[in-house]
Amino acid sequence: MEDNQKIIEDNISKISIGMQKTFTFHISGMHCKSCELLSESELSELPEIISVKANMKTSKIEVIGGFQDENQESIAMRLTEVLKKHGYTISLEPIGRIENIWSDFKIALPIAFVIIASFFLLQKMGLVNLIYSGSTSYGTIFVVGIVASLSSCMAVVGGLVLSMSATFASSGNKMIPQTLFHVGRLISFFILGGLLGAIGSTLAINSTVSLILGFVVGIVMFILGLNLLGIFQWTKYITPSMPRFISKHAIGVSKLNHSLTPLFVGIVTFFLPCGFTQSMQIIALSTGSFFSGALTMLVFALGTLPVLALISFSSVGFKDKNKSRIFLKTAGLIVIAFAILNLLNALVASGFIRPIFNF
Amino acid sequence: MENKNIIISILITAMLVGGAIFFVGRENNSDMNVNQGVLISGDNILIENGRQIIDIDVKGGYWPRKTVAKAGIPTIIRFKTSSTFDCSLSVRLPSEGIRKILPQTGSSDIDIGTSTAGQFFGTCGMGMYSFEIDFN
Repeated sequence: MEDNQKIIEDNISKISIGMQKTFTFHISGMHCKSCELLSESELSELPEIISVKANMKTSKIEVIGGFQDENQESIAMRLTEVLKKHGYTISLEPIGRIENIWSDFKIALPIAFVIIASFFLLQKMGLVNLIYSGSTSYGTIFVVGIVASLSSCMAVVGGLVLSMSATFASSGNKMIPQTLFHVGRLISFFILGGLLGAIGSTLAINSTVSLILGFVVGIVMFILGLNLLGIFQWTKYITPSMPRFISKHAIGVSKLNHSLTPLFVGIVTFFLPCGFTQSMQIIALSTGSFFSGALTMLVFALGTLPVLALISFSSVGFKDKNKSRIFLKTAGLIVIAFAILNLLNALVASGFIRPIFNF
Repeated sequence: MENKNIIISILITAMLVGGAIFFVGRENNSDMNVNQGVLISGDNILIENGRQIIDIDVKGGYWPRKTVAKAGIPTIIRFKTSSTFDCSLSVRLPSEGIRKILPQTGSSDIDIGTSTAGQFFGTCGMGMYSFEIDFN
């Protein structure tokens, strides 16, 4: 009751400052459902604003507030100032996006091409032959982790990490989700590895399950990749995210979405179809003890950490808006390439099609 | 500033990766017994008591990638691994509905029955590596 009273008083005082008016602005830079919530909650913090309604579909934002005699242009600029850190821009006219998209691609396309080509080259060079050791010591397992993160696991886990970190980077949240992903991955590898050692084959990774997961991840990556490119408006609506009614009730704006998703993805990577992970799981299985199994998987995950961390924190460095746009486009292209590779591989492994690539 | 941070983090990662591979990877440099693609098709086939045995080396893929074999006789594929840790450990033979996890080091046989003429292919669990056998 008291709260309501306070809100009403607040609103009255807002109205009394100036005439209450409704403005409709164009908003650019929104790419997901939670963007609506984020921009709404940021703007409603402003004292002169009474209510905000953002709409991603139409790229419009409706603001009701008492702005005295301030003209529309300066309101738009002031609101943009608030939202700049999340990458949204508020303007009177829709911002022409098409022309700068193509100039971004002129840079992003060659970079993505070089990165994908060097990935294929690394495979052709026979990176896996660096592992000679006959015995499986923890040192060997660590090296297997490193090699894994540079080869086949890069396409699956690395691609997923890149798509996730780039998606979070574009919504302004950088460090925390990435860190949570890596923490989730390390902890789950330790615990699940321990369970493999202790319980044995009951937990053994079913190849059908991992194949289905491979398909799902390939499709999710493909959608996220398209989304990062930012050319197709429709991809926004099929982006996997928490339903709005859940995230709205969570503490803060979609905090839940931003912390639980990466943690969960970190855990899921244990089950993804990555050959190295699976052969480490077999070693963990054969140890027959919780601690050795846990340590095996943890050391492997630590081996993959440097490269995966580099991928996920690569998105942090870009404060310059132009550079970050190019980064997102490059990431999108790489993610799409990996997604296609993963889907094709899953089709080959299930015997639907004949092998296309052979490393 | 931004570029500096990126370059530093790439260098640190490269050093970690390079260092670890250098120190652990050279433990047993001498037993480099995987002959990548050296085998010439046909050389990896042995006929023993009326059975055809096809040798395939497994490490970072399947070698040789293409084998020409005889159709119409009982056939066994013998997979040889030596400190193999990658995807190729998990072999799939889609046409036979067979999947098998090979040991890290050792030899394992998969009986594919009497082969009929035509192309036969196998792949790893992820579909990244594959091999082909032409029966004729």
